[in-house]
Order: sequence, then structure tokens, then C-alpha cells
Amino acid sequence: MKRVSRLTYAAALAAMMATSALPAFVVPAQAATLSGGFDVGPGGFQGNFNPLAATSGFTWLSVYYEPLVTYDEKLQKVVGLLASSYEVSDDQQTYTFKLADAKWHDGKPFTAKDASFTLELAKNAKTGSVLAARLTAISSVEATDDKTLVIKLSAPSASLLDTLTKVMMLPEHALTQIPADQLAKNSWWSAAPVGTGPFKFGRYVTDQYVELTANTDYRGGKPALEKVINRYFANPAAAIAALRAGEIQFTYVDSNDLNTFRDNKDFRIIEGNSFVVNYLGFNHDSSIWKDLRVRQAVMYAINRDAIIQSLYGGAAKPANCGYVADQVVPQDIEAYAYDPEKAKKLLEEAGWDKINGNKPITLLTYYTTPLAANVMAAVQAMLAQVGINVTPRAVDTPTYNSIVLNPTPDVAQFQMVYAGLQNGPDPSSINVGLNEKQIPPAGPNVVRARMPELTKALDTALGETDATKRDARYQDVCKVMNAELPWGTLWVANRYGVASAKLKDFVWTPAPGGGPYQAHPEKWSIAD
Amino acid sequence: MLKYSLRRLLIGAGMLLALSMLIFVMLRLTPGDPIDAYIDPNVPMSPSDLVELRATLGLDQPLPVQYLAWLQQALTGNLGYSIQRPDQAVLGLVVSRVGPTVLLMGTAIVIAIIAGIATGIVSAVRRNSLADISFSVLAVTGISSPPFLSGLVGLYLFSVYFNWMPSGGMLTPGREFSLLDLIHHLILPASLLALAQTALIMRYMRGSMLEVLNLDYVRTARAKGVSEFWVITKHALRNALLPVITLIGSTIGLAIGGAIFIESVFNWPGMGLLMVTAVENRDYPVIMGSTLVIGACVIVVNLMTDLAYAAVDPRIKVG
Repeated sequence: MKRVSRLTYAAALAAMMATSALPAFVVPAQAATLSGGFDVGPGGFQGNFNPLAATSGFTWLSVYYEPLVTYDEKLQKVVGLLASSYEVSDDQQTYTFKLADAKWHDGKPFTAKDASFTLELAKNAKTGSVLAARLTAISSVEATDDKTLVIKLSAPSASLLDTLTKVMMLPEHALTQIPADQLAKNSWWSAAPVGTGPFKFGRYVTDQYVELTANTDYRGGKPALEKVINRYFANPAAAIAALRAGEIQFTYVDSNDLNTFRDNKDFRIIEGNSFVVNYLGFNHDSSIWKDLRVRQAVMYAINRDAIIQSLYGGAAKPANCGYVADQVVPQDIEAYAYDPEKAKKLLEEAGWDKINGNKPITLLTYYTTPLAANVMAAVQAMLAQVGINVTPRAVDTPTYNSIVLNPTPDVAQFQMVYAGLQNGPDPSSINVGLNEKQIPPAGPNVVRARMPELTKALDTALGETDATKRDARYQDVCKVMNAELPWGTLWVANRYGVASAKLKDFVWTPAPGGGPYQAHPEKWSIAD
Repeated sequence: MLKYSLRRLLIGAGMLLALSMLIFVMLRLTPGDPIDAYIDPNVPMSPSDLVELRATLGLDQPLPVQYLAWLQQALTGNLGYSIQRPDQAVLGLVVSRVGPTVLLMGTAIVIAIIAGIATGIVSAVRRNSLADISFSVLAVTGISSPPFLSGLVGLYLFSVYFNWMPSGGMLTPGREFSLLDLIHHLILPASLLALAQTALIMRYMRGSMLEVLNLDYVRTARAKGVSEFWVITKHALRNALLPVITLIGSTIGLAIGGAIFIESVFNWPGMGLLMVTAVENRDYPVIMGSTLVIGACVIVVNLMTDLAYAAVDPRIKVG
């Protein structure tokens, strides 16, 4: 008995010490290992290992897989990767790819048969491929020899190359035995996948991290790093804590968390275009937005410059149509400069008192970040000043989708949305959000825009086979959007990553969906 | 006893069935399904792209059909595949999470019991001393700070500011397993999880101890010349512990709730983190699977408690 009591005392003492502070024994980072939060933020997709099912997460997937073609690191043009070169026929319906001399991680050669096998998988929705609908224009895929792949289309498609950047090549010899409908459930993806990229799959520790090791036979040269580790985080804040504690060397960072890294020599801030245009979507099924003057009033009532300065710290560009890129924005469009008096006048002319007056209008969003909450509050206050009474409501993504994608929606639940849509690098991205043919359930035209002139402009731009005229066609789209206001367009914000100053030759950009783009992981290195 | 146990197990199975139905219906009442969770509104993807996927998952079937299909599989031990990560079976996902959660909660409870009782005794014995006052202030802070707040503050202080502890995870990535590494990762989340429970136990222990220390038999012991140390540890403590033990049982629920927050803050790969992610993604099979496993545990533990009572206390008779 006596001994037990003493033991209890000793244990109590030990526990008390444990609950207070323990002496430091920090483990130094291993040399030649880069740890990062590669799947943190909007471009990431933690826990997904299957590139056919990837709606995002390409930054990480493209460290060990490779597509035929990819974007350059500025996201300006599509360049060859596993295809050393490619040609497009004059009628824009035949694409011929010359393949590079690459090897799979298991040593077998990469051939055109692998490429055609992968494209067949991607076209087949039974595999769980989310790319199938975007590849329907392909009529045939043929491996004419080991190093030549010919893709024929039934009609020209301006977005084919963009889609192909997301088709990661998969090895026929490893996957051909698995029935298409069982492919997604196969454990191959997270156990022992084989790609052609600069790093090979090492292991996945469930919900903790994925470890890759250098592919010493990589055709672009032996990687400088020995290992790359992708740590999983429940939220960006946890990743920032790990970055500041020195456990990881890189992560995506929300713009309002950037200040702690500014003027800090240990870190480098990487800024890039989000390619997502934020907008206030008018639900055109609701009668209150029918009058163009009301929609114009919303544009004039919001002081976008003030919001950009005070909430985004200047890191956003006002959008007066779906685009902000110079080549697709015409010079002479309306700038909708902040003018609350004009807004009030327009509302009065339209008879806003009779249309809706002071009744509350639900402003629905799936953005749940503190920044978005501040933006919504600012918009609410600015609209209230001119007599439009909106009530912000933030819900999670599945709830948002179930409300807005419902084929027979309850208009009262979302008279207005605060949302975003990818507007580049391929400008045709916004088509699905505005084309009349894309009204749910067909597509995500959630604002139910039924504007014949806009649909026509979008169709013309998408069908333009002459690459030199494409920008002009998208300028037409911009012009119509600016005049008709299917959305109250707001801005395109920048996104950020923060990397340790020790990282050398590290290429990252906040690409939509995580890319892919030419990141050259084989060149990444870390200073001691 | 055997007959009683069997009957209780049968009732337990019935309860699990009812639980599964309840969860199934409640899940379907939440807005949005797994496909809705899959579509990123920022990405130009058409919902029609996913019609086939919805059909493959059977989400277009009527609810009773979906439930029976699930039940049929579940009865054969197949809890299905995660929708968010279709290459991972739910059973494996859930089972692999039980260990980390038990480790985290177990450590937290042990810390809470030991630290709570020890500080309680010290506070009672050195009443109104500096130690008592500071422990009491800490206890009030502990009781009134929700786990997500203490988790974040602790994370900031100990791993970001002082850099003493890892900021999350269970093991250092890319390193071979070592016990020291595990303890290093465990100690901060477990201590923070233990905080509220420690505070509660400390308050009870202090109160109960003070009461006992004023009783006649303690005075008698002192009068007999027993040293103060033995008066406290042998005579007073054993009686004062009784109400505290009852309390400890009922605060375990507190630890389960707190574990969900702490696991999210510290990326601890346990049941809590799994369930939070699954709910965010409307990953029905994972939610169903993990709820059932937790439900089964509760039923079995309750049965064992009842049997243990019967074994210990002759006044209780089962069967």
C-alpha cells in the first residue's frame, strides 16, 4: 500500500510536469527532403490518388505522373511534356503527338499504346473519369507507331489541349487487367502507382502524408532532392503553423494570413493569378432582376476598389466582364465606377420600390473563409445604402450545389449568389456558367442566364477554329457580358503560396485545380 | 448470466440496426449528396458529367432500396468504399482510426486523472496558499475554455512560438517509427484534450478532500501521531476519491467530444478527423461505417459495465 501511494505521488508529479512545458527536442529537417502542403488550399485534393477522378490536386499528381502536354509555368501556353512535339491539322480535327523517350517507374518503356490506353480510360465514364464529358469530341485515338499518337476529332474543339493537360498518362501493362468499372476501387492508386514523372511513389500513411522518392532514371536528369513529402492538413491554418514551425517548407496561404510572412527573410511569398472571377450572380428566374437598370445599379453601388484595397490588400483586379486578361478585354467597355447616386437614380427609374423595395434578398455563397464573410458584409452595407437589402447566407459546398443545381430550384433560397468561376487560362471555361444550354441539370449555369446574344457570342467563340481570331471572339463575349450583366462581376483575386527561403528552383503557381504546369520538380533543391 | 448476455447482445444488434436506419435517414435529410460535394463551383465542370457516377454509386435509387442494398452488404461485413476516396474500403479506414483515437483519449484521461487528483490534493491540503489559488485560477480557465480554443492557443504557443512540439500529425513524415517520436507528437494534443477534464477533477477532488480532512476520524489519526503524509494519502485520500471516481466515468464523454476538435486542430489521424472530413464531403459510407463502429463499442462497453456491476456488487442480480 505504501509503495502504491508513493508511486501515485511520483506519477502525479510527472504528469503535472507533462501538462506544463517539456524541454525542447526539435527534430531537424532531413537534408534533401522537401515537405510541403501541396494539397492545401483551393487547388488541392487531399486523399485523391486517381488522376481520372481529379477535379483538382494536379500540383501534386504531376510530381509523379505526367500528361502529354502541360501549361508553361506562367500558364500562358500549352507545351509538350510526354509529347516532345505535337501538330494540329489545318481543319483543327487531327492532332499528331510525337512522344518522348520516357520510361515508367518500373523500367518499362512508355509508348503510344500507353497513351491511347489512357485516353480510352479517360473517355469512359464507367472508370469514374470526370474528364469523359470533356473528351466526347474525340472520334478516334490511334497509336500509329511506338512513338506517334494520332487523335481525331468529330468537330474542332478549342479546349482539347487544355483538357489534355489534365490527362495523366497511365501504364497499360499495370492496369489493363482491371475491369473498367472496378478501376476506381482498386488499391493500385494509393499503394503502388507507376508514373513517368521525376519522383516515384514511396508510401501513403493514411491521412498523414504521401512520400515520393527520386526517380534516378528520369529523362530530364536525376532529381536534386531525395524525397518529396506531401503533408495533409485539415485546414490552411494548420499548414501555416507547420510552416512557421519549420516542419514543412511550402504551403498555400490565404491572403489574409500573409502579413506574418512579409518582411521575413526566412520566407518567400509567391503570388499568382487565381484565374477565378468572383461575381454576384443574379438569379434570372427571380423577377426582381429583370430590369437591366437594377443590375446596373448593383454594379454602381459597390465600391470594388475600396473592397480590393481594404480586404484584399490590393491583391485583386476589378473585373467588368468575366475576364481581366488584357487580350480578351476590349478597351471601350463600361467601367462601372463607384457611383451610389447613379445607382439610386437607376433604381428609382426602374421602380425598385414596386419591384422589391426593402424586402430581404438572400445572398447565397459557398465561400466560408473569413475574407469572404468580410466581403459579403461590405457588399451588404454598400447595397443597403442604395436601398437593396441583401442577407448573406454562407453554406458548405454540397448544400450550395444542392440548392443551385436543383433543376426545379426554390428561387427564394438564392435570389443572388456570391460565387466564382474559372476564367482561364482557357477563356472558354466560363461558357458553362453562362450559356443558356448549360442551365441545370445540363450544366452549372446556376444564375439561369437566358440571354440569346450572350449564348451566341459564347458559341461563336468556342467554335472559332482560327486561333488568331479567338481572342477577338472572347472580346465579343466580354462586351456582351459588360452590357447585359448576367452577373455583377467583381474582381479576380490573386492567390499565394509561401516557401522557405531555403528552397531553390522551386516553381509553384496558384493554378486553378492545381495545374498542371511545368514545375520541373527534378530541379527543386533545398539548402542546408 | 450467459442467457442474460445473449439477450443483451441481441437487443444490442437491434439497436445497431435502428441506429443505422436513423443515421441513414438523417444523412439523406442533410442538403447535398456526395456528388454535390464533388463539384467545385469554381471549376467549369458540368453536373451532367457526373450523372453516370451518381448512377454507379446508386444514389439515383429510392431511399429504401439504397438502405437495403447497404444493409445487405453490411451484414456480410462489407461496409462499402469511401466515395471521396473510392480506392479505400470503409472498414479498413475506420479500423485504422480506432488505435490513434484510443491512444489520444486514453493518454488524455490518464493525464487528467493523475494531474487532476494531484493538484486537487495539493489545493485542499495547502488551502488558500499560492499553489491553491493558482491551481484554482487554472481550473476555472480550463473548465471555461472550449477545446478548439485551447487547441489553437496551445498549438500557437508550444509549436509555433516556442517550437517545442510538432504542430500536428502522429509521426514525423518520412522517418521510421520510433516511440519517442510518437510521444513527442502525442503529448501536446493529449495534454490540451485533458485540460478541461483535469480542471473538473481538480475541483471535485479539492472539495471532497476538504470535507474529508475535517472529519473526526482524520483528527483521530492525527491525534494518534500518524505523520501528515500518511494521514493524507492513506486515510483521507481513499475516502475522498469515491465521488471523484464516479465523476471520472461521466467525464469520458467530454473527452470524446473534445477529441473531435483536437484531432482536427492537430491533424491526429483518428475517428474524429475521419468523421469531420466525411461529413464535409457527404461521404455516406464512411459516416455510416464509423457511426456503427462507435455505436457497437458503446453497446459492448455498456454490457460489460452491467456485467461488471453484477460481478462486483452482490446486490445487483442479472438475468
